[in-house]
Amino acid sequence: MTGGVYTLAIRDLTKVFRIKTGGFRHADLKAVDGVTLSIPPGRTLAVVGESGSGKTTLARLILRLLEPTHGTVLLEDTDITSMQGTELEKVRGRMQIVFQDPYDSLSPWQTVGRTVAEPLLLHENLSMQQARGRVADMLERVGLSPAHARRYPHELSGGQAQRVGIARAMVTKPALVVLDEPTSSLDMSVQSQILLLLQSLQEEMNISYLFISHDLSVVRYIADDLAVMYLGKVVESGPSAGLFASPRHPYTEALLRAAPRPDPSHKTDHIYLVGEQPSALNRAPGCPLYGRCPIAEVACADTPQELAQVGSDHRVACWKRT
Amino acid sequence: MTPLLELSGLEVDIQGIPILRGVDMEVRPGEILGVVGETGAGKSMTARSILDLLPAAATVSFDSCTFGGQDFIPPKARQEARGHRIGFVPQRPRGSLNPVFRVGHQLSDTLRRLRNMRWRAARREALDLLRSVRITDPERVYRSFPHELSGGMCQRVCIAIALAGQPELIIADEPTTGLDVTIQAEILRLLGDLISERNAAGILITHDLGVVADVCDRVAVMYAGRMVNVGATTGIYREALHPYANRLVSIATSLDSGGVPQEITGRVPNPGDDLPACAFAPRCFRAGSECFEQEPPMVDRNGQISFCHHPIETEAGAP
Repeated sequence: MTGGVYTLAIRDLTKVFRIKTGGFRHADLKAVDGVTLSIPPGRTLAVVGESGSGKTTLARLILRLLEPTHGTVLLEDTDITSMQGTELEKVRGRMQIVFQDPYDSLSPWQTVGRTVAEPLLLHENLSMQQARGRVADMLERVGLSPAHARRYPHELSGGQAQRVGIARAMVTKPALVVLDEPTSSLDMSVQSQILLLLQSLQEEMNISYLFISHDLSVVRYIADDLAVMYLGKVVESGPSAGLFASPRHPYTEALLRAAPRPDPSHKTDHIYLVGEQPSALNRAPGCPLYGRCPIAEVACADTPQELAQVGSDHRVACWKRT
Repeated sequence: MTPLLELSGLEVDIQGIPILRGVDMEVRPGEILGVVGETGAGKSMTARSILDLLPAAATVSFDSCTFGGQDFIPPKARQEARGHRIGFVPQRPRGSLNPVFRVGHQLSDTLRRLRNMRWRAARREALDLLRSVRITDPERVYRSFPHELSGGMCQRVCIAIALAGQPELIIADEPTTGLDVTIQAEILRLLGDLISERNAAGILITHDLGVVADVCDRVAVMYAGRMVNVGATTGIYREALHPYANRLVSIATSLDSGGVPQEITGRVPNPGDDLPACAFAPRCFRAGSECFEQEPPMVDRNGQISFCHHPIETEAGAP
């Protein structure tokens, strides 16, 4: 089933939302703007960016929960961009998602066993009877006991509920799992448990992760590759270690400098970027960071910035840093 | 140095369920104390006890509580200090502002109430306050409704409101949770600067050890309604005595450097759970049988205080 070089390859993925601005007027909001990315089997790509940068929209486009305006999504070398009906249903078993809030994403009326079995009933046409063994096995793999299958979400702690969310995503043995801020609503001590679990499951099952996060310390730990998004565009991408060591794009640099680090001798740089992220509505044609960037020049205002190679696999969309 | 705020033996029960089980805390003038802990540790409840803002069903008791030399045990004393001598910065800035009034009105109104100003003087002072929280166009913000402002901007307004009574102590409850990192960095710097400019003190409640390292002089680590480890930030990060605090720091540091984090097994206890003498014992890697039966003793090493039977040994680091 695998075979290809990439589990996921997206090309020029774009999503434009049409927003009413009163009366009959409307404006176009480019939530995701020409994003090209790929993930090899068993690797983790982290997408980082601030709220409104288009991370979650990107994840939904990949999972076909939203229809892209244009661009293609290849899952294991199969174009899924225009799949419909039963064909798409089958593919959905190969790509799953774990949500940020573990309680909100579990049905309060369903037992844990039923929740984890659901993808098997849907995508593999198993009966509840047939699914039971797989469910018990999966619950054990995520560190719960088969007895948890009879519990309801309100009987679980946050960490346990997130383990159920992970079990549900992994039970169909998917090729790709999107993790949308999977640890940000958990307590510190539980956060590290979940990260360790995700990593061991990846090694066991050779799953590719698309890890969405704004927490750079978590990303530093879990990601092999990194894509930094700003206003719907990828402004820098490459292997995580290299990007953390020597960020090229001013925005990446700002993110790294602003992130508080658990070291009292390290002083956070508080004022690197000017102002706040503007609205993605009616954006200027040039660099999205223009207006906040400390190294901007007049030319940046109307010269579109494309990703350019600056090292092996390291790409950056800033003409001043290439 | 005499502490500005000192409290000991703070206990809070809500409908018979113990929430705080004996919290001791002091804040010295000019310092920022970070209060760290996980959900249900009692961070917010401690702050709310100081402000007398607990739910109606709560019963509070102190062994002692003084603020600037004044007895702070009577609820009336704490109510009168609220807003005047102690400013409060909430966690959800937009939710704490009234959605149907312009923010300038809310700020002026606060000034009228706290400092008996007339509208015109209050307006002038409000604009000054907005400028002091580094809002570049105070006139526009003054006329805006909360929904017209970004999260970071709303938090600046809330900080301005907290400053309105010229407080000696500012309590900020997770002031940057939900804000983007670049905005978080600015808000933290702003809070730190304002507190030192005004010779005030601060209590910063957070779960983020990065934030604490960035702005706090001292840290208090809470677990299940108790203070388990208190000390200077540098000391706690170099070597926290309490196994819980020590592990938290080590998880944060190893994640930050891309290393494999150590694990704290089990889960955070819920209020009302049956707890052993040391609440952390069931999850602790150093626990012995005495931890379950006897109250942990106080350990003081170079000013770092911890309540533990088996504190981390010097220079040995975490095992």
